[in-house]
Amino acid sequence: MSSKINGHVSPQPCPHLLDFRSRNGPKPFRALHDCIRVKPPGGCAAIRREPSEVPRCGTCEESSRSRLYACVACAAVFCHAPLLHSHASDHALSIPGHEIAVDVDRAELFCCACGDQVYDRDFDAAVVLAQTVNATATTSTSGSTAMQCSVAGSQPENLRKRRRVDYRPWEPDSGEHISRGNQSIPLLDATNASLVSSTQQPWGLRGLNNLGNTCFMNSILQALLHTPPLRNYFLGDRHNRYYCQQKNGAINGTKNSRLCLACDMDAIFSAVFSGDRTPYSPAKFLYSWWQHAANLASYEQQDAHEFFISMLEGIHEKVEKDKRKSQSPAGGGDCCIAHRVFSGILRSDVMCMVCGFTSTTYDPCVDISLDLEPNQGGSGKSSSAKSLNSCNVEADCMHPNQNGGISTLNGCLERFTRAEKLGSDQKFFCQKCQVRQESLKQMSIRKLPLVSCFHVKRFEHSSIRKMSRKVDRFLQFPFSLDMAPYLSSSILRSRFGNRIFPFDGDEQDASNDLSTEFELFAVVTHSGRLDAGHYVTYLRLSNQWYKCDDAWITQVNESIVRAAQGYMMFYVQKVLYYKESENQGTS
Amino acid sequence: MKHSVNRPPTPDAAEDQGKEPTLQEIINVKLIESGEKERLMELLRERLIDCGWKDEMKALCRAHVKKKGRNNVTVDDLVHLITPKGRASVPDSVKAELLQRIRTFLMSAAL
Repeated sequence: MSSKINGHVSPQPCPHLLDFRSRNGPKPFRALHDCIRVKPPGGCAAIRREPSEVPRCGTCEESSRSRLYACVACAAVFCHAPLLHSHASDHALSIPGHEIAVDVDRAELFCCACGDQVYDRDFDAAVVLAQTVNATATTSTSGSTAMQCSVAGSQPENLRKRRRVDYRPWEPDSGEHISRGNQSIPLLDATNASLVSSTQQPWGLRGLNNLGNTCFMNSILQALLHTPPLRNYFLGDRHNRYYCQQKNGAINGTKNSRLCLACDMDAIFSAVFSGDRTPYSPAKFLYSWWQHAANLASYEQQDAHEFFISMLEGIHEKVEKDKRKSQSPAGGGDCCIAHRVFSGILRSDVMCMVCGFTSTTYDPCVDISLDLEPNQGGSGKSSSAKSLNSCNVEADCMHPNQNGGISTLNGCLERFTRAEKLGSDQKFFCQKCQVRQESLKQMSIRKLPLVSCFHVKRFEHSSIRKMSRKVDRFLQFPFSLDMAPYLSSSILRSRFGNRIFPFDGDEQDASNDLSTEFELFAVVTHSGRLDAGHYVTYLRLSNQWYKCDDAWITQVNESIVRAAQGYMMFYVQKVLYYKESENQGTS
Repeated sequence: MKHSVNRPPTPDAAEDQGKEPTLQEIINVKLIESGEKERLMELLRERLIDCGWKDEMKALCRAHVKKKGRNNVTVDDLVHLITPKGRASVPDSVKAELLQRIRTFLMSAAL
């Protein structure tokens, strides 16, 4: 009963719906629009003839039935429980033209003859409109309001649909043939093949010397060296440091022009994947990074996450200068490899609690920073709700944690995408009310990156108390992660119910382009205090875990990793995570 | 035809003298009018998600649709399929909590 039109999946109407539409003019559900009640503003949509109506079945007088339907033709309400008795079906079958009804509690259309849900684009659009804007306040004509909410059908210009291209396997052209031969080091040859098989360690595992409190850098480097798309990019010679230096030397001969973090990354990749197992000192890279992030240039301990962000910026800047490409606001990541790999898009909905007007913004992000709960039991946030559907501000309605009190990554993500009441000191300016009102804010993920980096906020800096502290609370993280429940499409579906959305096709593209399943491949852990601590990275290669502690690489059991104190977790799209075979040394 | 949508139904069934509202009916109406029913529904939804009940039902529906084919399943089919299993698998703790809430409500409504 569904067909694809331009990539949009639209459920086909049943014959009764078609019949009804043809006999009742262009807007057959117009009269229902006045009966759409939304309470609280933005919550569930219901159908009530009077605001305080208690719907009951016209035949059996019961209001306590679980499914009550109002006939769209004559407004009579009936119950529907197909096994016991269905007064709705009786009504539908007895009077032709009265087959279509609407669920009074969900505002969803139903065909009582077919026993199945049916969809009407205009009706669904009207319901969604009512849920986002107070119905009585519309003064504009024909329902077209200047709403920023994407429900209105207008999409932000920066989210153009990307054209799909056919797959073509890559073949090097003549120029690439030559450059490959000149400057590449063979991965496997007679000298180092024996080295690899003797140590039985996978490719690219090499210790990094600590150059003076540089474990923050080493830990992130180890994670990046094994980030599949990044590794492939550099090992595939997509940024050739000799060519890049040559080009820059030609343009301007000043010292600064030769600063290129991507070139230094390329050098590290070459060194680490050369087969040499002796620990490597990334001194050149450190020096380059100091020049880039001058304020952090010292031998003091730094924050690994700060370094990560700074490094991505460094790779981006240099590329931008070269190619004069600015980062597309859509976060499509066409600007540089760093953004291509890590950049996703977050969606933020802020809804006025007085009138329901919702403001939607899209922001690119290279990682997601998650809060750890302040204390066990999850009683910290009593004013937040599961979705924008309900605003239960009940002190005794404590939201229980899964797994009985242990913090999990999924729990943090769920909290991240939960609708939150903004405090009374953070009133949001509502364009409809034209004053600052209390609002609900909800985050969701519009577009997933190739690699998701989750940063756990373990370092609390309190400006009030002028002190910082570290949160050592254990966080459980899965090895396989499905991001589907945190996508905008899922969050919206849970907010509005079963609807056809005008932008459904686009939302589906965003989540169907690439799968939502991710695999963990690197964990950066921190041990110790805020001012005196140590970073260690655990890498997952060929389904084995390796501990990278500066210059020392050891194979560890996965239980060690599960028990570790995660600070940054790196997940890659499952389709990009190749479960490499055990035999590394064979051709 | 359009204007008749807002016409209330003919009050013939209500005049039936022999029909006394059941206790369930009375309580239900009280719950709805006070808005407590909506709060209870929301609480129930949250609890059923937390304990994985919703996911279980979803999986059942998915399996059924996979077996029968996407175009051969109706909402009624699915409701028929999961109602008995669904009712049976609601955790006792959830039932107890909701019953307690209803009890508290009834005492405060002084029925």
